[in-house]
Amino acid sequence: MNVRGFCGSILVLCGIASLGCNAPGKPTAGAEAVRPDEVKNFSKLYSQNCAGCHGADGQHGAALALANPVYQAIVDEGTLRNVIVNGEPGTLMPAFAQSAGGMLTDDQVNALVSGMRSRWYHADAVQGLDVPPFKTDKQGDAAHGQQVFTSHCASCHTTGVQQQNAKASSITDGSYLALISDQSLRAIIIAGRPDIGHPDWRSAQPGHPMSDQDVTDVVAWMASQRQKTPGQPYPSQP
Amino acid sequence: MSRIKRLYNWFEMRLQLEGPVKDAALHPVPRNTASWWYVFGSAATTLLMLQIVTGILLGLVYVASGSEAWKTLDELNHQLYLGWFLRAMHGWGSNFMVAVVLVHMAQVFTFGAYKFPRELTWILGVFMLLMTLGMAFTGQVLRFDQDAYWGLGIGASIMSRVPVIGGALVDLLLGGPIIGGATLSRFFALHVFVIPGTLLLFTAVHIWMVLKLGINDWPMPGRVVRRNTYLQEYHELSHKDGVPFVPDALWKDLFFSAAILAAVAVCAFVFGPYGPGGQPDPTIIQTAPKPDFFFLWLYAVLSYLPPSLETPFVLIAPVIGICILLALPLVAGEGEKSWHRRPVAILVLVTVAVSWGIFTHLATFTPWSPIMDAWSGDPVPPKLIHDASPLVRQGAVVFQAKQCRNCHAVGGSGGMRGPALDTVAVRLTEDQLIRQVLQGGGNMPAYGKNLSPPEVTALVRFLETLKPDGQPPAIDATHQEQKAQNAAPQQ
Ligand code: HEC
Ligand code: HEC
Repeated sequence: MNVRGFCGSILVLCGIASLGCNAPGKPTAGAEAVRPDEVKNFSKLYSQNCAGCHGADGQHGAALALANPVYQAIVDEGTLRNVIVNGEPGTLMPAFAQSAGGMLTDDQVNALVSGMRSRWYHADAVQGLDVPPFKTDKQGDAAHGQQVFTSHCASCHTTGVQQQNAKASSITDGSYLALISDQSLRAIIIAGRPDIGHPDWRSAQPGHPMSDQDVTDVVAWMASQRQKTPGQPYPSQP
Repeated sequence: MSRIKRLYNWFEMRLQLEGPVKDAALHPVPRNTASWWYVFGSAATTLLMLQIVTGILLGLVYVASGSEAWKTLDELNHQLYLGWFLRAMHGWGSNFMVAVVLVHMAQVFTFGAYKFPRELTWILGVFMLLMTLGMAFTGQVLRFDQDAYWGLGIGASIMSRVPVIGGALVDLLLGGPIIGGATLSRFFALHVFVIPGTLLLFTAVHIWMVLKLGINDWPMPGRVVRRNTYLQEYHELSHKDGVPFVPDALWKDLFFSAAILAAVAVCAFVFGPYGPGGQPDPTIIQTAPKPDFFFLWLYAVLSYLPPSLETPFVLIAPVIGICILLALPLVAGEGEKSWHRRPVAILVLVTVAVSWGIFTHLATFTPWSPIMDAWSGDPVPPKLIHDASPLVRQGAVVFQAKQCRNCHAVGGSGGMRGPALDTVAVRLTEDQLIRQVLQGGGNMPAYGKNLSPPEVTALVRFLETLKPDGQPPAIDATHQEQKAQNAAPQQ
């Protein structure tokens, strides 16, 4: 081996090291693990706490797409904060705040909310459009809701058991309805799920955007389809 | 006479070192010991020097107090010029040193070099190995991050299991019943004064004996060591067919030491310093502490042992191991040196090395402990749920929400405590899935009481979709039979 070349390369290495420039091993600022309750970085918080259900970038997840701009346009920050802090009782959305038994501090919840807003909220997403409000106190009319379903949803969705040729599958399955809240259904119907091909309120029936009343009624109808004892594995045998 | 020469003479007259040094440098060694196989001992010494130099430099900054230690490391990493490189050199130096010491030991064992008259050299060497490991452990504690904290906790709990004096031992180790301010001072004293001091002394004696007894001759099958003839034989070997230690043997040592130092520098440069990891706060439970590389095997072994065997193993096995190592040269001080004639010894060495490697590998990932944040952090692979029905998608949420993911991987991420579920639908029918979820079994807890019927239904629907494209799902043969019977014309 060429000893001189070897020594030379060591010298060069040391030279680079002493300059400290771009040494791959040099710790980057903040590389040390911070206390878990002091993490304020949105990406980190989101990917540790939310990505499991809501998808890596707020979409393509098992639960509602938080990155959907229409969703962000209709929901307000107070709601987001409240949902993260307390979860949605009765559903699978857990409570995250320390005050509610979770692991996140108030600051971290705020970091999540403002992070979601700055990334996924676009002021012009629904500008000038007549979008049904996020929440409603109105009573829905299930009978009218069924008509809306037939006109707006049945082109894709079936009721009852899943059919082979349907574009999308049953949304009135007893177990499904038992696990999802009315509010979440409302959010899905209005904001859609662009990531999985479910249309928003404008395009369920192209040319006929749904009104606040339509949405409320469909949700009421779907709620009326809930069963008393859902999810029995062998429904035929009582 | 030049001035320098006069100065030299002034010292030499008083110190009288020239003679012994010349003797040591020029003493003849058997020709074939000037081999690349004989360079590990000197490399270990070089690394010890590196550790001392870098250690002293670190000692200038480090503050051995629970509240300051972490901060000073942070300062070294970020504020002090090349402080990170210094930490990295010391950390990687330590890794290399343990590795080189182990290789040195394996080589000495393979070459039968522990036999007469070098028994004491070996025995000292065993203690030096223990001290090197002690340095690695105490050094890891001085880093005082989460790994250090919990590593110490584990060390203390091992100690506490010693019958009768366990409590006192823990007090001695930690400076009290719990890890506190006194603990770090203790480990600082151990790491900086007690162990290195002893280690240096032992090293000096070890090297002295190597010089006095001569470097082990290259083992030849049939050249048997006997107490009454060996010294004579060795003398002939080194004087008839010998070469002077300097420069014939030394240049290889020097070259290898330099290469090792370069390797440490490259590792330090490329991989950087170790940690510090998270802060040592027992209230932080989101942590999966792991020991440093050389203790990983122990971590794996302990995890695999049934709990009832842990204490006996931890307390008895090391004692037996050390006793065997110490007794080795006394019991097997004569006989064949060549590995060709010592099959059992070589097999033992290979077995130990292979098991060590396997356990270390096992411990680099942890199949036996759940990943506690997989449920909220590892996304369900999008392709699994993209074309799924709402119920199946909801089943995926149940899968996450009930933390199945912490033990079961899907799409390559998640825990490894249980089997990966990517192909579960090929293995289990719907009925079997329901039964497994409700009743558990095979180390899985029963979830019957923690899931509502709709949750079970959704979950099982989701699990039923977990199969590779084009593979048929598992079927229940009895159902098929029933169907065939029903379809058959009744007579
Ligand atoms: C265990 C799965 C899971 C995790 C983890 C999870 N969510 Fe959810 N989340 C859900 C489910 C399921 C729903 C729908 C609940 C319902 O039916 O109303 C939901 C709903 C929501 C909603 C919408 C509420 C509404 O009515 O519009 C928001 C906002 C939300 N989650 C935010 C978060 C954030 C932020 C995190 C991370 C801190 C998070 N979620 C983590 C499962 C999860
Ligand atoms: C253009 C076809 C189409 C129309 C029209 C449509 N959907 Fe969907 N919907 C989908 C697809 C595709 C999915 C995702 C695949 C699936 O769940 O089967 C979906 C999913 C859903 C989901 C489940 C979302 C989730 O997060 O799991 C609900 C609830 C839903 N649709 C309700 C409705 C309602 C109510 C209407 C009528 C107002 C409607 N859909 C109209 C295509 C459609």
